Amino acid sequence: MASTALPWTTPFASLGDPSPLSHALGEPAWLADFRQGAAEQARLVSLPNRARHLWRFSNPERFLPNQDPMELVPAPAPPPWRLEEDLAAAVLLSSTSVQVVHLSPEAQRAGVVVAPLGHAPVQEFLGKAVPPHHGFLEALNAAAFRPALAVLVPAKVRLEKPIRLRLVASGLSLPRVLVVLGEEASAEIVEGHVGGSKGSLVLGVTEVFVGAGGELCYDLVQRWELPVTGHLTSRIVLGENAKAQLALASFGGEATKVDTGVVLAGKGAEAETYGVALGTGTQHFDHHTEHIHAAPQSHSNLDFKVALAGQARSVYTGLIRIEEQAFTCEAYQENRNLLLSEEARAESIPELEILNEDVRCTHGATVAPLDEEQVFYLKSRGIPHHQALRLIVYGFLDQTLSRLPEKTRERIEALVAGRLHGEVL
Amino acid sequence: MSEKRPVFALENLRVWVGEKEVVKGVSLAVYPGEVHAIMGPNGSGKTTLVQAVMGHPAYTVEGKIFLNGEDVTAREPDEKARKGMFLAFQYPVAVPGVTVASFLRAAVAARRGHDVPVKEFRQELLRRMEQLEMDPAFAGRYLNDGFSGGEKKRLEILQLLMLQPVFAMLDETDSGLDIDALKVVASGINAAATPERGLLLVTHYQRLLNYVQPHVVHVFMNGKLAKTAGPELALELEARGYDWLETSVGGGA
Ligand SMILES: Nc1ncnc2c1ncn2[C@@H]1O[C@H](COP(=O)(O)OP(=O)(O)OP(=O)(O)O)[C@@H](O)[C@H]1O
Ligand SMILES: [Mg+2]
Repeated sequence: MASTALPWTTPFASLGDPSPLSHALGEPAWLADFRQGAAEQARLVSLPNRARHLWRFSNPERFLPNQDPMELVPAPAPPPWRLEEDLAAAVLLSSTSVQVVHLSPEAQRAGVVVAPLGHAPVQEFLGKAVPPHHGFLEALNAAAFRPALAVLVPAKVRLEKPIRLRLVASGLSLPRVLVVLGEEASAEIVEGHVGGSKGSLVLGVTEVFVGAGGELCYDLVQRWELPVTGHLTSRIVLGENAKAQLALASFGGEATKVDTGVVLAGKGAEAETYGVALGTGTQHFDHHTEHIHAAPQSHSNLDFKVALAGQARSVYTGLIRIEEQAFTCEAYQENRNLLLSEEARAESIPELEILNEDVRCTHGATVAPLDEEQVFYLKSRGIPHHQALRLIVYGFLDQTLSRLPEKTRERIEALVAGRLHGEVL
Repeated sequence: MSEKRPVFALENLRVWVGEKEVVKGVSLAVYPGEVHAIMGPNGSGKTTLVQAVMGHPAYTVEGKIFLNGEDVTAREPDEKARKGMFLAFQYPVAVPGVTVASFLRAAVAARRGHDVPVKEFRQELLRRMEQLEMDPAFAGRYLNDGFSGGEKKRLEILQLLMLQPVFAMLDETDSGLDIDALKVVASGINAAATPERGLLLVTHYQRLLNYVQPHVVHVFMNGKLAKTAGPELALELEARGYDWLETSVGGGA
């Protein structure tokens, strides 16, 4: 299982056998087979060509593990989690453990399953939204993932309170989350990434399936400690008339690459993605979003805002794809970037692939420095310089956050405020 | 006009925009309880004067600015404001995402030097808004974002009343108002014209001065005060325009 000294071209050529890992985690045969198949693919993948758009702005080598991904290195126990909110379920995931901290009696009675992925009936879903061949890191995750969690919400079950997942980074972790909402089910799930230290690497994959008429709020909140490097891939697949609201919030990490998207696979599906990123120092953000309209009469809207201080850098690429048979669709996308310093840099690249004529689609992108007139106006009312900047940045981001449901909005607003006070300004 | 110390004074103030000198030496003193009006043609430098006094970073300033006897020339705009200087902008700036209420709460806390309890603040805000015939819904709107010209001007006066400055400059707060709005704004200005406070109104029109009686009227031309006199000067300007003053530029009061 010597997997050090990986050649650049096929970085995982000497990837070890996943069965000891599978065995150690007590996984069923179907899952062991899945890992084997994925490992075979992973051994063949090559590092992406930097000219390929998704990797134009981030060096893939930054995301390569420097240890054997198959090796289960014991991780320190995550700090205890005091729940402050009334939740349907709470799960704490470290790089090696899955701990269901809370599952409400209502959720239990309704048949909600929150369990390690190998212990849930999700065989037909695993790898269907983010297949191993999605990319080199997704192939690696499929072969070597842990911790891994499945969340199943049965048909017609409508959870009033959110499910919170807290993923604590340490060393190398390859978390995988799989969520299945049955027909007409509804839930809010918060996937929160925290923790980490120098050398921590997170390579995560999340797959979400929403059945016909289902309604999902998915919050992907990244607030790693600053030295963490991480790559998070997620896809939400929507059935007929299903709705998803994806809230993205990226705050931490030295280098973060997020590849997220919604596949509107059923007729009449609706997707909304609202996101904010706030960076400083030498933080590097690379966000890619996709709204894939694969069915007629589907609607999507995206609004992503980025504010950068220091020498932080952000790249955003947003793909809207409307497939040939997806008639009468609407898709809107907007990305705005606010630069608080001369050294901060942002790029915004919309990508449209529209394969039929019967659509309404708009997109917009801006990168702008801080408006000195705004700063002067606020200061002329006695508001000190830094507080004025904070108000402006907060307002800039809050215009997007205000589109989210109240509770979700408040939660993310508090994080924005905390980060603005703590580190950015 | 008073034995007291001026609340505001300028000593030979000169202002440059880049290489261009826009304000070319202005001296004046405003005593407690006084209302001064500055009138002058478009582009003569009135806005530049008041913005530079407030501390806009685009300008280079020479000379001295005194607030309540203290030399505040080198102070940051926020320090000046906390010490009691106020400027109602000719073109108030929109700050999308920041509500009027949260902005005003931050401003009031800064000016008073302490936080005001939410409930107390709300009551005060609503009372002032009512005084200015503003829909309470404005408290929840984003600051000047999508406001009509008249709404912006009302909001400037609301801020004047909430912040209770020592000395306030109002840059064309009467422009673009219909008659009803003008009356409301004028009543707000009159409410702010207390015996302790000094006001400086920049205006083009006598019609504001029908509602707000100035004690002193200055004519500002080509970067200088061309003439200073009593309220009758405003009427004369209304009748004769500015041309007749052209020759006396540099004469001052
Ligand atoms: N930031 C700036 N950059 C460039 N030019 C400026 C700037 N500020 C003022 N000026 C110039 O200075 C001159 C005076 O402008 P100012 O706005 O002060 O005039 P004003 O008397 O207020 O006019 P109005 O009655 O139209 O409001 C104008 O020629 C203007 O273009
Ligand atoms: Mg002007």
